[in-house]
Parts: sequence; structure tokens; C-alpha cells
Amino acid sequence: MLGRLESMIREVDADFVDIRYEIKTETVVSFVGREIKSVGSNTTDGFVVRVLREGGFSSATVTREEDVPASIRLALEGADTIRKTGGKRVTLADVPVVEDVVKPPLDIDPREVEIDEKIRLTEKYNEIMLDRPETVTTRLTYREVARDKHYVNSQGTAVSEVLVTTNILGEVIAGKDGVSQNVRVAIGGADGFRKLLDREELFHERSGIAAGLLDARSVKGGTYDVVLNPGLAGVFTHEAFGHFSEADIIEDNPGLRNKMVLGAELGSREVTIVADSTLPGQVGYYKYDDEGVLVKPVTLMNEGVLTGRLHSRATAAGFGEPPTGHAVAEDMRFEPIVRMGTIFIKPGGHTLEELLRKLGDGLYLLDGKGGQTSGENFTFGAQYGFIVEGGKVGPMIRDVNIMGNLFTTLKSIEAVGNEMVLSESGGCGKGQINIKSALGGPSVLIREMVVGGA
Amino acid sequence: MTDKTGMRKLLDLAADKSDQAEVFHYRSDYGSLSVRNGRVTDMSAGIQTGYALRIIKNGKLGTAYTKNLLDPRKVAENAGISMKGHVEAGFSFPSPCDLPPPPSMDGTVASMGFDDLYSYSDKAYEYLSDRVEGQVDIAAERSVTDVSIMNSNGLDVTRHSPVMYLFASVLFPNTETAVRKIYRSSSASEFPGEDLEEMAELYRAGLPEVEVHGGRMQVMFTQDTMFTLLWRLSAGASGMAFHSGISPLLKKRGKKVLSEKFTLYDDPTDTSRPEASFFDDEGVKTRKHVVFRNGIFENLILNLDYAARLGEEPTGNGYRESMWGGETVAIQPAPLLKTPGIAPGKASFRDMVSGMDRGVIVMGVLGAHSGNINNGDFSVGLNPGYYVENGKIKGRIKDGMVAGNVYEVLRNVVAVEDELHDSLTGGRFPAILLEDVSVSAR
Repeated sequence: MLGRLESMIREVDADFVDIRYEIKTETVVSFVGREIKSVGSNTTDGFVVRVLREGGFSSATVTREEDVPASIRLALEGADTIRKTGGKRVTLADVPVVEDVVKPPLDIDPREVEIDEKIRLTEKYNEIMLDRPETVTTRLTYREVARDKHYVNSQGTAVSEVLVTTNILGEVIAGKDGVSQNVRVAIGGADGFRKLLDREELFHERSGIAAGLLDARSVKGGTYDVVLNPGLAGVFTHEAFGHFSEADIIEDNPGLRNKMVLGAELGSREVTIVADSTLPGQVGYYKYDDEGVLVKPVTLMNEGVLTGRLHSRATAAGFGEPPTGHAVAEDMRFEPIVRMGTIFIKPGGHTLEELLRKLGDGLYLLDGKGGQTSGENFTFGAQYGFIVEGGKVGPMIRDVNIMGNLFTTLKSIEAVGNEMVLSESGGCGKGQINIKSALGGPSVLIREMVVGGA
Repeated sequence: MTDKTGMRKLLDLAADKSDQAEVFHYRSDYGSLSVRNGRVTDMSAGIQTGYALRIIKNGKLGTAYTKNLLDPRKVAENAGISMKGHVEAGFSFPSPCDLPPPPSMDGTVASMGFDDLYSYSDKAYEYLSDRVEGQVDIAAERSVTDVSIMNSNGLDVTRHSPVMYLFASVLFPNTETAVRKIYRSSSASEFPGEDLEEMAELYRAGLPEVEVHGGRMQVMFTQDTMFTLLWRLSAGASGMAFHSGISPLLKKRGKKVLSEKFTLYDDPTDTSRPEASFFDDEGVKTRKHVVFRNGIFENLILNLDYAARLGEEPTGNGYRESMWGGETVAIQPAPLLKTPGIAPGKASFRDMVSGMDRGVIVMGVLGAHSGNINNGDFSVGLNPGYYVENGKIKGRIKDGMVAGNVYEVLRNVVAVEDELHDSLTGGRFPAILLEDVSVSAR
């Protein structure tokens, strides 16, 4: 395949050209309540071409091989239009030329597991949640995404890599007196099928939390001190800081770029943040990004000081910083953009009990229910929480959403816990869905967060 | 350019081995660009195709899809394998019916190149840059999408949808918080000057950053934040929620559940909208479909599957789309409001603002997807939200949120704007002013 791709771009009249061909096989078993809603394993494929000519950098995606010449014409036309109109002049950071074929490290290859076994396993976990009397319905899906990627560029890099991401994920919905409450559940990763086995306890626990929320009180809107558990601290790190560390977010906004210079003191001394997709066994793992660059661990913030940024080759050159291997696409329908991969706050020295004692009066919030970022502003939701009074965990609460501003919130992190938990699924939607957006970390104590309540 | 030959081949193969079969096919070609801070930063283009197959045999459903129809036999086999799931199919694919003639298209979108996209973007950029000091960003796209559906009951329909959009943002200093507006059209055309003028005016009004005390107050949702409420309402009115027994609207059909000032409908047959379509993604004929009329919950939102499960007629709302995008052919048809609208009221936007003693105009939100959507709860960050006191906009709120339950707040509608606007998320809506909504702020 790599040779065929090389021949497709050999004659292109450009300063740089690359092509990615990808075959994506997606296997799905989906339940709504006790009914199976879909079962199937399907394959799609397509090509992504990018060209750089006289500073103009443009891309085109096509499904069919016979349209590849058209995609090259379109990309060249785009690059020329950028140049003619005085648009952004792009250069690409130098990276080593690589030839490699990478197979995923899988304990049990999910592609070798029969569909009947996938149905049986998903049904078993689904039944555990449905068996609780308070459960009204569930949505539970087995999803296996295998990306067989082949990348070639005009500088000689030729890389094939297979990534297999496997999850069982969904939600349990409990109901009483016309009120329903939902709690998410997700297991899986990028290292095989084994993580999906023997997880009954988690599904018991999640359905129990949904049932408990029926009698929980809604939190009142206002400003609170909070402790976030690792699941929620990960969402916080991803939303409050992670997106801002993606160079393409700020590169064309001079005002924000001036605020985000390396060396700027943005957080408290407690906060060190790392993006590391090389950690084995976690959902965000990959070796090469979608422009053939080896991914590296990056310390983004060290004791509150901005020390690194996540880059594609173009943004690395634009900022004059080292490339990091973070140009990632959802699949063959998209050109790669800068994505953060696995991000977390490095553990500190406090136990959860110590964090709650330091908190005094406030909220203990657990597990993420989605978040969003726009520039320096962010929101994220907690699946559930507890009132804390005098360091003691009290009644359960629900309907907790939080808003914050990067430049104030990171300085309000007062203490960091000593545990480390990473998520088993991803799903960030920055224009494209990134199912490998792993996150997590320790628990953290943050002062004065704005909570929306109900 | 629809691949009718490939579709026919796949349909024949599948129909041979099933009681009924359906092939869905799309082809889309598009180009887009971004202008950030006065220069083009990105240009991209694409030609994407996809094929989805559904078969029904002995009351069970099989599905398969591909983007590149290299081996129709393999796709038909995959649909057969998927029948291992014993997915219930209590419905039949629709038979042919009379559809209105497709709206006439002038072909200008189809012939647009990058130069044209740049020209329209640049005009909007220049217009705004002359009027505001903030960073002006423009995104533009042109696309031509053909969707065809064939089934073994004789249905063979195609829709041709050329659409261009221009999306303008004016950023407040040193942030990504912005005043934004979108313009969509099925003809190549400029961003209307009056819309850009309105943007500039709103931007100037939001320049001061103000700190406010939270509490319960009047809150106005604009066209671009209306989806916060509509996601929850359409989830509740969906056949899926009724069949699962989780809708707050269970047993409330025909009853007044919201303010009489509120009417929500879906109208894919409105040919003034570029996304108009006379059939849904299952080939069911569409019509204007009222969900809430003057606060009364009238109709569910149904695709073929949930209509059959609930013993109702399909409403032409089965679409292969999801909240988070995804590959069209990989998504199974689900109940969806594709072209939602809210009936206009009688008040102008200016009069609505000048009538507010103390309140918030929600211009943009963060986190609309968080929270308990099934239950109707929302709790969203203001991005931006304008604070109004004594009928005057004082500025944009620093770190604020609004929260509530859609079935409660829409009982207290003070006024509905007399004009409809294209929203960023699709649909045409007026602004709606609500009483007594919770606002939190630092």
C-alpha cells in the first residue's frame, strides 16, 4: 500500500505533499433497554491529501481511489488561493524521516473475537443494570474501531500503523415519579479485549448511583469550593487547560497568544500537567500521529508555569517550538488537527481525606458528564456529588455544572491528591470526534468555582 | 452525481435474500475556508460518498454500510451477518408516493470555487472590520449533496442540496468569546449587510465586562442558544423516549404543558430553506409537523421504527444524523427535527430588551450537552451573556451560568420576537424572553 501511495504523489508539483489512506472497520452491538438495536461490522476507507506550495497549505479528502487526482488538484487550487490572497504562509517543522510498520500491542485481539461473544458480554452487563428495580432503561454499546492507517510524504516518510480501540459504553437511566436520572458507564481501552472482561462490579455500581440520584437534592447555583475526583479532574484538565495547550487554538488569535507564552505563570505551584500518549495500556496510546511524527510526552505546565505546547508540524514551525506528534484525525474523512491525547495533572501528596479536610465546607464532585471550551472559558458537568460540611461527606447532590476561566481557575487549585486514574474511553468533539482523548489524574481541591445548579 | 447503477446492483443482491431491502446513498462535494484575523488560514475540499443497506427478513432487521462500493456482494453479506442480533423490525419500507417537484436551483453554489468563497468572505470581513475594532473571523463553505433512496417496494427518490454558508465572528479583546452570526443560502450570495450591522451593534454593546450578582431574573434565549432548550424538548417528544418510558411528556399528549406563546414545528417542505427536503432519510414523505402548538403537546417525533413500535404513523423525521456528527451511513435513522422552527411572536428584539428590568440575554452557551437532557434540565455557561438593567444592555457577564428545567422555564414566556433568524445549529428561531430563571455568577 505504501508503494502505491508514493506513486500517487510522486509527480505532484509542490514543495511538500503527503497522502494518508485509511481502512476503518467498526464493529457495533447496541442495546436500548433489553432490545438489541443494531449489530454489525462494517468497513469504510478513503484518502486524505495535503499539499504545501509557496507557503499555501491546503488539503482534500476523497473516498474513491479514482478521485485522488481530483483531490490533488483541489488541494493545489486551495494552496494557490491562499498564496494569491496573501493568506497564511506555512512552513513545516523538520522531523526525522521514518519508515515503520506498527502493530497494536493487544492482549486479546478483539477482531478475532466472535460477534456472538461480543453480543453476550454486552447483554450480560446490560442485564446487571436493568435488574435494579429503579432502572427504567439503558443504552449500552459495544464499539470496536480498528484504524488501519498508511501514511506517505514527499520527504520519504512511510508509516503504517493499526490502532484498535474497544469499549463498552453507555448510560443507565433510573426513574421515579416522573423524574429520570442518568449515569454514564464506560470500560475499555486500546490494548485488547481483556479490559472488557470481569467488570460486573462496575455496572452494579453505576446503576446504584443512578438509583441514588433519584433522591438526591439539586445543588443551588452559586460559588463553591470543590474537590473533584480523578474522573472529573480529568475532564477539568482537558477542558480548562488542555484545549488551550493545543497550538492551533491560539495560533491565529494574537491577544490570546500573548497571554500563553512559555514561561507564563498560569497556575498554582501545586499544578504540573502532562500530555503523554506513549503510556502503554491506556486508551490514548499511539506511536505516530497522522503526519508520521513520533508522539512525545510533553510537560505542558510545571508547578504552575507554562512549559510546553502540543503541535502539528505546521504549528511547531509557526511557534518556533519542537514538534510533538499531536496532529490527529478522526478518520479518513478529515485532515489532522492538533489533539491533546492523554492528559492529566501529575499526582501530588494528599490523600482524599486530607483534601476533604482542607475543603472544609463545599462540594465533593465525581465523574464527568461532558464539558466544553471556548478560548479561555470552559464548562463541565459532574455526574453526581456530595455536600461536604466540616470535611465530612454528607448528602448526595445532582445537576452540577461548573463554569470557569483558565486564567483564574488554575491559580485556584490549592491541593492535589496522590492517586492516579485514567479514563477508559474518550470522545472529544473539537470539530472531529477523538475517541482517544484519554484523561484523568488525581483528585484536586479548587477554590471558588461557579456552579450553575438548577 | 448519484450512483444509481451501484445502488440498483446492491438492492437486487440484497432483495434476493430478504423480504424487503433499502439502499441509501449520498455523494457530497464541498470546499471550505477560514479567514482568521484578516488572512486565509485554511482551505480544504472533499468528495465523499456512502452507501447504507437495510434488509428485513422474518420481521428482523439487518444493516450494513460502506463508503466505497467496491464489493456490493460483501455489503449484502454483512447485512445478513448483522441479523445475528435478531433486531426487531416491525415496519415496512415506504412505497412510492407523489412528491412535489424539487425547488429550482440556480446552479451558482455548484459552480463556486475557492476564489468565490474567498471573495464573499473578504466582503464580510471588510464590512465588519470597518465597523468594529475586535478581531473578525469568517468561515465559509459550499457543498452540493445528493441523497438517493431506493427500496424493494419501488421507491426511488433523490434530493439535490446545494448550500453555501458564511459564518462571521467578532471576538472580544484577548478572548475567543464572540458575537457570531451565520448566513445560509442555496444560491451564491453575500452576507446581508443588515445582519452584519446588527452584529457590529451587539458587539459594541457587549464590550464592557460586568460582574453581577446571581439570582432569579428574566432570561432571553436568542436564535443561537435556542438549541439548549430544543435539544431537551425534542428528546422528550422523541418516539425513542416514549418507547423507553423516560419522557417527561408521557401521558401529556393533547395537554397544555408550556406557555401558549410557544409553538415548535419542523418544516422540511419550506423551500426558502436550503436544507428543504420532501422526504426523510428513510424515504418517508415530509410535511410541516407541529410538536407543540400554543403550549399544547400535540405530536411525537417519529421514524419508521418507533412509529411502528408505538402504533403511530411515521412523521417523516427519520434521519441519519447525530448530535456529534459521525459518518452518515454508519448512523441508523433516528427521530430528529431536521428543520425546526418556532412561531414568531409580536415583540421586536429592541422592545423586548427595553422591557427588561434586570436580566440576561444568552448570546452563546457552553455545555448545552451536559446535564440530564432526558429530564429537561439545563445548566449552561454564558459565552457570552449580556446583562440588562432598566432596559439597557450594560455589558457581557464575567463567569456566569443559567440553569433550569425546560418544562418549567417555558411555562413563563414573557415575549416571543416577531422575526425569525437562521441559527448556528440549524433551524430558524425568534428570541424568547423568560421570567424567573436561575442565574449564577462569580
